[in-house]
Amino acid sequence: MPDGRKPGGSLDPMELWKQWYDTSSKMWVSTLDGNKETFVDTYGLYRLWLETVGKAQEQMQANISGLMDTKEIWNTWFEATVGAWRKAAEMGGDPLGLTTQWLEMMEETRKRIMAGDVLPTDPFTFFQKWYEATSETWAKVVDDMLSSEKFIESASPFIEIYSNFVKTLHRANEEFFSNLQLPTRSDLARVAGLVVAMDEKVDKLEDALENLEDERSQESPLLRSANEAIGGRLGKVENKLDTLSTALEKNEAVKSLDGRLGRVENKLDTLSASLEKSEAAGTVEGLAKRLDWVESKLDKVLAALEKIEAREHRGPETANSTGTVQRRKSQKKTE
Amino acid sequence: MTKESVIPAADDMISNLKKYARGMQIILDGAQAATGQTPKEVIWTKNKAKLYHYEPTIEKRFPIPILIIYALINRPYVMDLMPGNSLVEYLVNQGFDVYMLDWGVPGDEDQDLTFDNYVLDYLSRAVKKVLRHAHAEEFTLFGFCMGGTMSAMYAALFPGKPLRNLILLTTPVDFTPEEMGLYGLWTSAKYFNPDYLVDAFGNVPGAMVDTGNRMTRPVTNYVGTYVTMWDRLLHNKPMETWLAMNKWVNDGVPFAGEAFKQWIREFYQQNKLVKGEIKLRGRQVDLQNITCPVLNIAGKKDHICTLPQAEATMKLIRSQDKEFFVLDAGHIGLLTGSDARKNLWPKIRSWLEVRSN
Repeated sequence: MPDGRKPGGSLDPMELWKQWYDTSSKMWVSTLDGNKETFVDTYGLYRLWLETVGKAQEQMQANISGLMDTKEIWNTWFEATVGAWRKAAEMGGDPLGLTTQWLEMMEETRKRIMAGDVLPTDPFTFFQKWYEATSETWAKVVDDMLSSEKFIESASPFIEIYSNFVKTLHRANEEFFSNLQLPTRSDLARVAGLVVAMDEKVDKLEDALENLEDERSQESPLLRSANEAIGGRLGKVENKLDTLSTALEKNEAVKSLDGRLGRVENKLDTLSASLEKSEAAGTVEGLAKRLDWVESKLDKVLAALEKIEAREHRGPETANSTGTVQRRKSQKKTE
Repeated sequence: MTKESVIPAADDMISNLKKYARGMQIILDGAQAATGQTPKEVIWTKNKAKLYHYEPTIEKRFPIPILIIYALINRPYVMDLMPGNSLVEYLVNQGFDVYMLDWGVPGDEDQDLTFDNYVLDYLSRAVKKVLRHAHAEEFTLFGFCMGGTMSAMYAALFPGKPLRNLILLTTPVDFTPEEMGLYGLWTSAKYFNPDYLVDAFGNVPGAMVDTGNRMTRPVTNYVGTYVTMWDRLLHNKPMETWLAMNKWVNDGVPFAGEAFKQWIREFYQQNKLVKGEIKLRGRQVDLQNITCPVLNIAGKKDHICTLPQAEATMKLIRSQDKEFFVLDAGHIGLLTGSDARKNLWPKIRSWLEVRSN
């Protein structure tokens, strides 16, 4: 079975036409003629109208003098038309009540139009008066009809059948032109679809590029401040590294000096002990010279330490070391 | 009869004949009018859609741009009908930066487009374009009719920045059959299966959609409008507005097939939007997510979007700053004409002025 075919639906155009004719003519005749299953008469409505016009003509011809009076003409027309519709209403059940409403409307219109002293002879002005007199009632009649479930029930299959008819027609046309090796509407749609897909891709690319641009333009001030911040922080880190390096250098120098000082201290201790043990002056003088020499060395070391201390930011280890040196110096002076 | 008395009568006859000829020409060929005249440029296109930017006439007074979203049916130039009778022109002249998305005319190749595409691909993208073009971080979304429904869905999916304000004009949200008048019955699942039309036509023809709309007021739309035309024509009354409106009314565009099915089934027949059951590409549309300032406008005489259909929005959204503004007008009547100039346009301006800085 071809795709999209509904169960129960027919693809035969003649069958579809028959369904359409049956449904639509039934709908309208049942709407206007009281649901008497008389839809076999396709021209019933036209015949009804012609009868009306014919009667009006006969009545007008029967009274020639009346033709001079527009009110009389319209009155005659009303009578003829209303009569035809009244007859139609009497023929059946008038399921939607439309005929009855139409008759009421005509009576109302007749009253309103005839209420005026003079009827306009200008066709437009008359039509305008007619519209103003009838539109409200008409609108109500049509509204009532359109909002009734009976109308929708009748119209609903019409849409289905009409759609099926169009679908079948389209398919037949497609096949016909395909057999003629001619491009069809769906071929064009396929090509257009490719163009749309291409357009979509280009648009996505454009979007991606714009996003990138936006990100860059949005980030550039951020990036600038981030760079500045990082630069500042790098400067600080560099300073710290310098400080650290210096401190390390100092630390090493101090350690080295501390070591050397320790060794000197040991020597001094040894010397002091030797001095206490020795009582010979010559030896003492020699030792004193040696002590002066050591002392001058110590002074140099202390001077070096003081220089370092002056350059150094306050550091616990250095401070300790300096304190130790000062302590030792004061001890030495005491001795 | 003198020669002098014959000539004016002949002149009258010729003049009347010309008027009748013109009237018949309008009826047969359709009304012609210069519409959408406010200067604009196309700043973006996607498939058939175009995004317009209206050229400012005075220095921009408000940094928040307005993006107008029109319905998928009919043409958006009704928002810019003609000089002196154009909401767009009015807003531009007030110093607003105005953009409008024209969905264009879908072709056979577009019959698979759905609201998912329209909201998530087209509308979202248009928003980005507007922000980029206007060098703005926020914008006002202004939806009309079905365009309002789409705008509300966008606002629900993308609450918060960049959406600053939301204006909904005659926007149906609640599709309870009892609230929809004739549409409630006509679109009932019992009587109407949208698949038939879409299977047959692909896209539902504009004339068919238009017929549906006109049939809600058949006497006025099919007869009354031409009574007005003859009256204006024969009594030498101005015709420009009538011509422009008639051109617009008869200038419907097809409704993309899948979107039509979605609109009828999920909105009209199942009323999913108020239930929070609409899903666009798997993302749930919950109108409670809307918290931005909202101006919701409806017409008392509107039979396409009835008052209760529009009013329902007020209960669903969570915005603190929200207003329901009702005008004594119909669906299109509130948008154009002297009443619109007096009521609608100043209302929109005053509401936006304090929310667009």
